[in-house]
Amino acid sequence: MKVLVAMSGGVDSSVAAGLLIEQGHEVVGATLRLWGGASDSGCCSVADVDDARRVAQTLGIDHHVFNYTEEFERHVVAPFVAGHAAGQSPNPCIECNRHIKFDLLFERAARLGFDAVATGHHAQVLSRQGQHFLVRGADDQKDQSYVLGYLSGEQLAVLLLPIGAMRKSDVRREAERLGLRTWDKPDSQDVCFIEASKGREVFLRSRINLTPATIVDRRSGEELGQTPAAELMTIGQRRGVLPGRDGEKRYVAKVDIARKRVEVGRLDEILVSTILLDGSSLTFSHEELEDSTTVLAQWSAHGRAQPATLRHGDECGRGWWLQLHSPARPVAPGQSVVFYRANEPEIVEGAAIVVGS
Amino acid sequence: MTNLYYFDHAASAPRRDEVADAMQRWQHGVVGNPSGSHRAAREARRAVEEARDEIAAFVGAKPGGVIFTGGGTESCHLAVTGVANHHRRHHDSTSIVVSRIEHHAVIDAVESMARDHPSVSVRYVDVDGDGVLDLGSLATALRGDTAVVSVMCANNETGVLQPLDGVGSLARAVAPNGVPTHSDAVAAAPWLNLAEATASMDMISICAHKIGGPVSSGALILRGDVAIDAVVPGGGQERGRRGGTVDVAAAVGLATAARLTAKERDEVTVRVAGYQQQLCTALSPLEGCAITAPGATRLPGTVHVTFEGLASDELLFLLDQAGVCAAAASSCSSGAAIASHVLAAMGMAPERARGSLRLSMGGETTQEDVDALIVILTSVVERLRLEA
Repeated sequence: MKVLVAMSGGVDSSVAAGLLIEQGHEVVGATLRLWGGASDSGCCSVADVDDARRVAQTLGIDHHVFNYTEEFERHVVAPFVAGHAAGQSPNPCIECNRHIKFDLLFERAARLGFDAVATGHHAQVLSRQGQHFLVRGADDQKDQSYVLGYLSGEQLAVLLLPIGAMRKSDVRREAERLGLRTWDKPDSQDVCFIEASKGREVFLRSRINLTPATIVDRRSGEELGQTPAAELMTIGQRRGVLPGRDGEKRYVAKVDIARKRVEVGRLDEILVSTILLDGSSLTFSHEELEDSTTVLAQWSAHGRAQPATLRHGDECGRGWWLQLHSPARPVAPGQSVVFYRANEPEIVEGAAIVVGS
Repeated sequence: MTNLYYFDHAASAPRRDEVADAMQRWQHGVVGNPSGSHRAAREARRAVEEARDEIAAFVGAKPGGVIFTGGGTESCHLAVTGVANHHRRHHDSTSIVVSRIEHHAVIDAVESMARDHPSVSVRYVDVDGDGVLDLGSLATALRGDTAVVSVMCANNETGVLQPLDGVGSLARAVAPNGVPTHSDAVAAAPWLNLAEATASMDMISICAHKIGGPVSSGALILRGDVAIDAVVPGGGQERGRRGGTVDVAAAVGLATAARLTAKERDEVTVRVAGYQQQLCTALSPLEGCAITAPGATRLPGTVHVTFEGLASDELLFLLDQAGVCAAAASSCSSGAAIASHVLAAMGMAPERARGSLRLSMGGETTQEDVDALIVILTSVVERLRLEA
């Protein structure tokens, strides 16, 4: 097969390319240039492009750099900023996968005559009776199926994930065996367009005015303090929130930018049992799930999947929502929830953006 | 093995065998430091000075005005910041006037000066829709505090020639003593007689690898008496204007390439202009294709086109697969094609500029190359249209 490998300059995609060559595929590497601004982390720097190019040279394959900076700004960075301005917490990595890697890159690969696209994600594609399913990566510490949750069955049919069945330590060993200079490169952790040394606040301040707000205890109405930027408070978070007068921890329950107010409460006061979903974002890998299907729902990259019932109906004008089987901390609007199959908990069924909980 | 069709001369021209031969003498064994006094040094010095004579003749200047540098970028940098720095030390306010379509060698140099020195400012001169400098805009930009004006001889992306005589006249007219002028002639050097084309300029930058010489070799040539501060002072070489040991092989390579370029110029220009005409005629009818700057006088070797709705990345990928080396003409340090400041200055919409392609030719280009390019590019465009 003719395979286009998306090479970030990290060890995972380096090994993915190496393994595909050994499997006898005709492989071409491509690095996506996404972020044009300053970066000290993630996978967008010139140094990372250099690493990818050098790995491709070592492997003896062609390497190209595709510029998607305009699209990245439009589909990822601008919505990230707008989401924060509206008090939401979008996940830029998911948006990048959805709109850039698995939309624009897939289309481009087809136009350029490739049979498949490969990435170095820790996730697997399972084909069963002609259908293709996304499955969690074999290394549960590194599983990235969550950030790929929006892939459709058609996309999965032309996606190769060569390292998804491997543990990270084995990936590094393979990289060493193949003589790739990325073998001991640290994993990227952060959002590529936010400089780790400066943080989200500095980035957001370069784009929007942040809103100083009062932190208020939800039950007593007592003012507990101030935050310089309500946009940086994420629903459910405890970090940065002082305990109440009773000495107990407080969690963010509501962010109201317009009223410059952040409501907090004790854990038992803020727990929720429903999560409302944005129907227009709702994506299923295959058939739409029926109302009242039990799923395992996961709403952060390394969170634990929770049993829930996917509901659909006009009740309270909700459209689609999740009924959690046990109460959980509230989920910030803008985050994505990925549904895994209840009886086969490794298999992804679909995903949607949270509008509230 | 796929045939190679090289249409990226404007990025780097094929190395000439004669250049390699001439340089070889200075890349083995004892090569004296030209600043020394013994026989090996004298021999090296003679080679450098002969090269200097040839470069002076190539641009129509005196040998004393030739400063050997490490390439076009350094030459441009030395010209604009060298003169502006000298001005800055003697004046309260210093402005630098450059066209919006200058190479980044000029733009980044002056921007970094303006950033570092509060008394230095940069004023940009507009171009028209064909990428030709607007002399009215230049007249407005020139002031009493202007230290230097820099306008390239021909643009490296579009190949469009600039009205240097007009630039020279306007710059000389600024009170009280006129403003020194610099022209980046790196792109023009393979094609134009620089003695004529840059006659009105005080400083000219050239480099070797666009004319079949080695990379990291160039020269800044001063025509008149221009006060310039060295960017790298070093050991006083090149009359104190560029420190560091002169690379004999690089100077000899530059001079040899210049001599051969001048010798072949008439034949090559006529022949390649024919290819340019043929390419434009063949590509124009392709769906969504537009020749850039059709109304302007362009270098014979450059055909810049845009394809509406297509992306440079994809055109270049498929051309590369078929053995055609071409470019989008503007790329960042990662190698990705990026939005061109030149096309933006011409008022071209970003969506249109995304489908840019620069096909650049030289003396080595053959009729067979051009015929093959037309067939390959036509099929690439048709394929992308079909898939879209």
